[in-house]
Amino acid sequence: MDNNYIIEMLNITKEFPGLIANDNVTLQLRKGEIHALLGENGAGKSTLMSVLFGLYRAEKGVIKKNGQEVTIKDPNDANALGIGMVHQHFKLVEVFSVLDNIILGAETTKHGFIQKKEARAKVLELSQKYGLNVDPDALVENITVGMQQRTEILKMLYRDNEILIFDEPTAVLTPQEITELMSIMKGLAAEGKSILFITHKLNEIMEVSDRVTVLRKGKYIGTVNTCDTNPQELSEMMVGHSVNLTVEKAPANPGEVVLSVNNLSIRNKRNKKNAVNNVSFDVRAGEIVCIAGIDGNGQTELVYGITGLERAESGSRIVLCGNDITNKSIRFRNTHGMSHIPEDRHKHGLVLDYTLDQNMAIQRYFEPRFQKAGFIRFEEVRKYSDELIERFDVRSSQGSVTITRSMSGGNQQKAIVAREMDRDHKLLVAVQPTRGLDVGAIEYIHKQIVKRRDEGAAILLVSLELDEVMNLSDRILVMTEGEIVGEFDPKQVTVQELGLYMSGAKRQNKQQTAEEVDA
Amino acid sequence: MSKVKEFFAKIGRWFKSLVVAPSPEVEPKLKTFWNKQGTRNASSSLLAILSGVVIGFVFLLLFAIFSPAITFKSAIEAFRILIGGIFYTGRTDTGALSFGFNPQLFGDMLFRAMPLLMTGLSVAIAFKTGLFNIGASGQYLMGTWATLVVALSMDTTVVNPFFVWLLALLAGMAAGFLWGCIPGLFKAFLNVNEVITCIMTNWISINLVHWFFQADNNKGAAGAQFVNFVDNTKSGFILKTSTNGVVTPTFGMDKLFPGSQVSGGILIAIIVAIVLYIVINRTVFGYELRACGSNRHSAKYAGMNDTRSIILSMGIAGALAAAGASLYFLSGHTEYAWTNNMSLPAEGFNGIPVALLAYNNPIGTIFASMFMAYINIAGEQIRGATAYNKYISDLIVAIIIYLSAFSLLFKDILSGKIFAKKKAQEVAPATAETVAPAITEVEPQQNTEQEAGE
Repeated sequence: MDNNYIIEMLNITKEFPGLIANDNVTLQLRKGEIHALLGENGAGKSTLMSVLFGLYRAEKGVIKKNGQEVTIKDPNDANALGIGMVHQHFKLVEVFSVLDNIILGAETTKHGFIQKKEARAKVLELSQKYGLNVDPDALVENITVGMQQRTEILKMLYRDNEILIFDEPTAVLTPQEITELMSIMKGLAAEGKSILFITHKLNEIMEVSDRVTVLRKGKYIGTVNTCDTNPQELSEMMVGHSVNLTVEKAPANPGEVVLSVNNLSIRNKRNKKNAVNNVSFDVRAGEIVCIAGIDGNGQTELVYGITGLERAESGSRIVLCGNDITNKSIRFRNTHGMSHIPEDRHKHGLVLDYTLDQNMAIQRYFEPRFQKAGFIRFEEVRKYSDELIERFDVRSSQGSVTITRSMSGGNQQKAIVAREMDRDHKLLVAVQPTRGLDVGAIEYIHKQIVKRRDEGAAILLVSLELDEVMNLSDRILVMTEGEIVGEFDPKQVTVQELGLYMSGAKRQNKQQTAEEVDA
Repeated sequence: MSKVKEFFAKIGRWFKSLVVAPSPEVEPKLKTFWNKQGTRNASSSLLAILSGVVIGFVFLLLFAIFSPAITFKSAIEAFRILIGGIFYTGRTDTGALSFGFNPQLFGDMLFRAMPLLMTGLSVAIAFKTGLFNIGASGQYLMGTWATLVVALSMDTTVVNPFFVWLLALLAGMAAGFLWGCIPGLFKAFLNVNEVITCIMTNWISINLVHWFFQADNNKGAAGAQFVNFVDNTKSGFILKTSTNGVVTPTFGMDKLFPGSQVSGGILIAIIVAIVLYIVINRTVFGYELRACGSNRHSAKYAGMNDTRSIILSMGIAGALAAAGASLYFLSGHTEYAWTNNMSLPAEGFNGIPVALLAYNNPIGTIFASMFMAYINIAGEQIRGATAYNKYISDLIVAIIIYLSAFSLLFKDILSGKIFAKKKAQEVAPATAETVAPAITEVEPQQNTEQEAGE
C-alpha cells in the first residue's frame, strides 16, 4: 500500500467553550485500509468524526480528499464526498421495512412516486456482493441488532459511500456477530472501501485493523501499524501510563448464602409479558456471580426486582440474609445489608443538582449521625463526604461542595462506588459498574469489587462486557429473554460458548429449581 | 495621623481586592460575588424587571402617539409615577407631580403583597418538588370559604375572638391542604399530570363556593347570615369578618402606615417565608422534598418515599395559598364578593410570576411579591393622575409582570448560555438526533477540563 490517502484531516483543532476537544489532530486514511481510531472516553474521537461528518466545523486545520482541499459544512456535504457513518445508536425508523430505511433520504422517484423496484434490485445486489444478509421486507423493529447494523451498512453502500465510519460498532453485538462484522469489514476493505473504526477494544483492533491512530485528551499521540504493535503498547499510548489489563484475584471462597432469588418474575410494563421469567439463583458470601447477556434481555428488570425499584409478581420470593424482602421497601433493603451500584448513574445514582456531599449521604441522611431533631447536620455530612473523597480518590473542582452535574462521568461513578462500598452491606449489586469509564477507572473499580469479595461480601455483577464477565466473575449466569439459560465456571468456558447461550442458540437443560416448580 | 492613613489604605486595599486578584489562585472578590448563584439570580430578576419597565415606557409613548387625548407630557408623567410608585404623593398647587413618603400607599403595598407572597410560596414549594401548582387559585378559594364560615359563624361573645381568628386561619389552611392534596394524590398514585388536575380542581372549587353562598341566600337558609344585608346598596358581598369582631392583630402596623389597609398579616406571611426557607434548606424533610423534585428516580433509589413527598408538598402548597386567603379576608378591611367572582381569584395565578421572579427562593418571594404590589399600585396612581385609563394602565402593569417572568432567560444570557448555543447552531446546523452522539462525548471532556482530570 503506498501513501495514497483518500481522506486527510490535517492539524484539526476544535474548541468548545472552556475546552479544546481536538488539539492539532492529524488523521490520514489510505484507500482500502481499515484504520482504527483509539482513545478513552472524552479523548475526542467522536468530535473528530463529527468534524469529518460535517456536524461540527473545526476552527483550524484542513480536510483533504484525494489531495484536494474540501470544506464540509453539513452531513449532506459529507455524503456528497462519499463519507458515510454508522452511529453507535442506530438511526433507523423502527416501523419501516429494511428497504424503506435504506432508501430513506435517497429515494429514486419518477413523477413523485418512489421507484422501489430499482432500489430493491440495487440493495439485493449490494447485500450479495458484500455478504450482508438482510431481509429487505422485514420491519426494523422485528430484526436482530446485528441485522439492523447490516442495514445501516447497506445504507452507506446504497449511497455509494467510499469512506465508511463505524462508531463503536461492536458494543451491542454478541461474539458471533462481532466475528461476522469483522469479516464484513475485511470484505469491504478488500473491495476498495476505506474504513474508519472507532473503538476502545484492543483485541478488535489487533484482529481487524491495518493501522491505528491514538488520541488522548484531545491530543494526537501517534499512528502505528497494527502489525508492529501489541495491546499493551496501545493501552499505554491510550492511557499515558502502563495499565494492568487483567484482574488479579485469588480463587473464591464462597460462604453462606446471602441472597436467594426464587421464582422471580417481573412484568414488563409495556407489553405485559414477563421481562423476567421465573428466575432462581443464589449468591454466596465471598463470591462474584455475574449475570451475562445481551442488553435488553431482562437484566435491568431483574436488578429492579432485587433492589425494590420494581414490584415482583406474586409467587416470587427474594431472601436477603434470612429476611424475606420480596415486598419490603427500598429503605428496608438498603438498611438490611444491600448496596446497589445502579446501571444508570444519572437516573438513579445521583441527584445531579445536589452537591457531592449531599449525594454521598443520600441513603443515610436520616441516621442519628447526620440529623438532629429533623435538621440535617450538614457539617457531619461534609466531614463524612470529605473522608470518602479522600479514601476513594474522587476528584472534583470544589470537593464536597461541587454540584455533581459538573463532575466528569468517571468521577461521578467513583462517587457512587465510594458511597455504596462504604455502606454496611452483605450484598453488593453492581450493574455495569464500569460503563463508559476509561481504563484507569475500570481497573480501580474492579480492584475495589474484588477487595469487597475477599472481605466476605456477596457480589452480584451485571455486565454487558464479556471481557469484564470473564475477568471478574467466579460464576457466570447467562440470561436470555428473561430466563437464566446457563451457569458456567469462567475458567471452563470460552467467550464463543457464552455467545451461543446469549443469543439463545443454545441452552442448558432447565435448571433443577425450575424443574422442581414444574413438578 | 498615621492611623488615619492606615485606615484609608485599608479601605483602598479592600476596594482593590474587589477588582484585582492578589494572587493567581484567588480571584477578585467582585468576580466571586458575581459568580454566586444568588447574585446571578437577583441580577437577572432585576434585568427582567428593567426590560419590562423599558417596554412599558415604549407602550406609554405609543398610546400617546396614537391617542389624541393623551399628550407626551402625560406619557412622561405616567412613566415617572410608574417608577415612583408608592412614593407618589399627588400634585402640588402648580400641577407638578410630587414624591415623598406616602404611608397610605406604602401600607397598601404591604397589604396587597401579603396574599401574593403566600401564593408565591405555594407555587415555589411545589416547584421544589418538581410540580407545577397552577391550582393556587382553587386552594385560595377553598381557604376563603372555610375561613369566612368559621370566622362569621362562631359567637364571639361566647368564644374569645382571638381564638376564633386562630381557628378560622387554621380552618382555611386545612381546607387548602386537603384541596392541594387532590392533585398530589392523582400525581403520586396514577401519574396524572398535576396541571390538569389543578385546573379541574380550580373550577370545581369556584362552583362549589358559588353554590354554597347562593343556595343559602336564595332559600334564606342558615347560611344567609354570611351575606351582607346590612348595607342595602350591596349585593353579593359576604360580611367582613370585623363585623363579628374577628380581625388579625395589627402589631402596630396601622400606626406606622396610617390610612392604609395594612394588617399584621404581612408580618405573619414574612415569618412563614423565613420558616419555609429553613425547612426547605436545613431539614430532613426539605432535603427529601428537593431530592424528589430534582430527580424522583434517584430519590426512590435512595429509599425515600417519593409518593409521600409529592402528596405532602402539594398539600403544603395548598395550605400556603389558603393561608394567604385567610389572612387577606381576616384583615377586616376586605369583603368577599361571590357574585362577580365566577372568575378565579387572580392572586392564585399571580403567585406563578412571583415564584418565577424569585427563583423559588422563599426569601426572594418576599421581595418579588412586594414588587408586584408596588407595580399594581403604580398602575392605579397612573389611572388617577393622568389621561391613561384603567385598561392602559392594566396593560402596562401586565407587560411588566409578564416580562419579569422572563428572568430565567436573562439568567441564561448573563451566564453566556444563550450566545454559546447560537454559536453551536452556526457550526452544526444538523438535526438534534445526529448531534446527540457527538455531544455525549464532549460532555465528560468539559468536566475534566474543570477538574484536575481523571
